[in-house]
Amino acid sequence: MGGLPTNRTVNGFAVSPSDTRVMYVATRDGLFKSADAGASWKPAGQGLKNLAAVTLNPQKPNEVYAATADGIIFRSTNGGTTWERQP
Amino acid sequence: MRRFPRVLATGVTALALVWTVPFRSLAAQGEANRGQGFEHVHALAMDAEGRTLFLGAHTGFFRSEDGGRSWKPVPLSTTQTHLDIMAIAPDLRDPRILYVATHERGVFQSRDGGTTWSEVNTGLGGLDVHGVAVDPNVPSKLHAAVREKGEGVYRTTNAGGKWVRVDDGPAGEVKILTSVNISTGMGGIFLYAGTAEGLQRSADCF
Repeated sequence: MGGLPTNRTVNGFAVSPSDTRVMYVATRDGLFKSADAGASWKPAGQGLKNLAAVTLNPQKPNEVYAATADGIIFRSTNGGTTWERQP
Repeated sequence: MRRFPRVLATGVTALALVWTVPFRSLAAQGEANRGQGFEHVHALAMDAEGRTLFLGAHTGFFRSEDGGRSWKPVPLSTTQTHLDIMAIAPDLRDPRILYVATHERGVFQSRDGGTTWSEVNTGLGGLDVHGVAVDPNVPSKLHAAVREKGEGVYRTTNAGGKWVRVDDGPAGEVKILTSVNISTGMGGIFLYAGTAEGLQRSADCF
């Protein structure tokens, strides 16, 4: 196990309903993604900080949304590889 | 009663960033526009059909039909217009059914896609609910994480008709609770909790 910052608050969590090994967590330090049900994690979304929540589209699990604590919404359509801010 | 084992949040403190973003810093973009008037966002969720995005914040509950570009407030109560929304849990088999956990009024349920709401708190030991999770296999079965008064994890098997306390819950303040369809091998699935002490999980067969 590894990849999540130690002793950090996990504010948000999302899992793909079609492949429950794929998970995301939202933290103040950014977004992390696991492809093995939480055994290991990698940062997903360089530049995303101060995240409060994350979710995904159950019909299109690669469509992921993240929100900062003050309500800025980011959207990824490729499973967290790239992101765009929603205006 | 017992506590969730802490199983997932240990590990290394630093990893090289492996994703790249092909445009200017997202944080810089954020600084240019500080959101849409939300304060202290707590939750984000999408309905079963992938059409409606819901957001819960200290300032209330909101919905977006255009992927988060614009938002409309959703009143849950006629007597208290600005509830502090802590968690959102859509029924992933029925887009009409949605649960919302609040800091001060317990759990609300909608059976019409968010138009009307009712409180479903019978059996909860307190009304400060920080997490609510719908079982993906049996959507009438839910778990809720209560803080402060009556603290613990509660379960309902009749869609909020009655809650029963089943566990002390994880260590640390719960930020989100989710049922994940991963078999425990003991007849249940796992509950994952995002907490102030990291990500934790427990078999849901308390």
